[in-house]
Amino acid sequence: MTRLLIPFVAVVLFYLEPVFGLFSPVEIGGVYYYLIPRFLIMFLIFVGVYYNRQRALMYAIIFGLLYDLFHIDIIGLYAFLYPAVCLLAIWAVRHIHQHIIVVTLITLLLVAVLETALYGFFTMIGFIGMPFGEFAATRLVPTMIANSVFLVLLGWVFKSLANRRSIQKREGML
Amino acid sequence: MPQFFSNKRLILLLVGVIVLVALIFFSLRDRDHANLPEQIVKDVVGFGQQLFSKPAHYITDLIDDVDSLLNTYEENQRLRERLVEYAAVQAELSDVRKENERLKDIVGKEDDLRGFEPIHASVLARNPDQWEEKIVIDRGETHGIEKNMAVMTSQGLIGKVILTTPFTSTVQLLATQDPAYRVSALVVGKTEAFGLIEGYDTERRELILRRIDASFEIKEGQKVISSGLGGIFPKGLLIGEITEVTTDDFGLTKQAHIKPAADFAMLEHVIVAKRKSTEVDGSDAGNTDEAKDKTADGGKDGDGS
Repeated sequence: MTRLLIPFVAVVLFYLEPVFGLFSPVEIGGVYYYLIPRFLIMFLIFVGVYYNRQRALMYAIIFGLLYDLFHIDIIGLYAFLYPAVCLLAIWAVRHIHQHIIVVTLITLLLVAVLETALYGFFTMIGFIGMPFGEFAATRLVPTMIANSVFLVLLGWVFKSLANRRSIQKREGML
Repeated sequence: MPQFFSNKRLILLLVGVIVLVALIFFSLRDRDHANLPEQIVKDVVGFGQQLFSKPAHYITDLIDDVDSLLNTYEENQRLRERLVEYAAVQAELSDVRKENERLKDIVGKEDDLRGFEPIHASVLARNPDQWEEKIVIDRGETHGIEKNMAVMTSQGLIGKVILTTPFTSTVQLLATQDPAYRVSALVVGKTEAFGLIEGYDTERRELILRRIDASFEIKEGQKVISSGLGGIFPKGLLIGEITEVTTDDFGLTKQAHIKPAADFAMLEHVIVAKRKSTEVDGSDAGNTDEAKDKTADGGKDGDGS
């Protein structure tokens, strides 16, 4: 049954993102802060690092496409960014260390990279005209804080899930 | 240092990137209609999304209920005061309504730009990356929703339908910077001043009403409603209140900042307004429909419906 657990968790996270998105923006002292949930990509990075690179990339492409089709209506944006971020993460972890704290930090850094890349893309096609400083203050930093809380709470669950699956698979092969 | 990619992988990656970039440009160009695979994906994902957003709505509703329960006493006091006024207003309203009907009879006018049929819908999802302000609702073509219909909450107008599939539709909120997004509006006062809602001030979180003729007198505090002249929106949906009046960049027309009446932050239940009076499409051989497709509600010269 654990075979289906990873895709199942991915689907749940995919559906939870917009539900959390309903609560944003948050107003504090007259300033609106946008908290953007990035649960799925963080989970996929963990899957890629602790379980299987191919699988993670495949899920990243599929869920990226779904995200594009359902939410963004620009096909190919997330379908490109999700696997790219996943690959970067796996490459970085291979060169640094597999410890969970290191992986958590790299994941958060890459969420910031993803956010900045999206900002760049939407600025380029003229959807938004927001100066970088404002973007960093009202979107990037709050998003990082919210996502780091999520990751600190659930990162070890992701890790043990991916680990258990890869151990299982190795035993199956023996 | 070990090689990051083998040659084969590199080629595969490059091909992938090229395909995706092509897809991005394809979908950017052709943004306003969903093709069949897109529709299927939207409906299937939308169905799954329901399983998650319905419980979430239930919980937030519950919290709201508790919240309003705590304020009951205060609210009751306030409402009791209003009740006295209410009876008088009610009497006046029925009188005015009767008179209006009689006058319409005399003139022989059957259609009214104000008439609309409400379709109630729940919000399935809000675009989680929040760059474009979009929501997906759980009513679609099979429930009679069409592109460009007005969407509102009980407080006021919030946006319009930009994409429909059989069971879901996508709504773009007024708070967008898309230059092609316009809503024809009307300032309520002694004389009615017309203008177009175009653009959004993200810093002040206010809409901008442009192209108001300089000869019209408008002041802060006046209410702004939809004018119904674009051909798709019904007339009289509340948009907001003027907070500041300025002249535009060229000094030819006036523009005003409008504080939206509806709160865009926490949307759960919305109403789609299906206009009753149909667009007139007489001698212009389908141009109305074409114009409707292209410029949505905001056609500058209205189509005379």
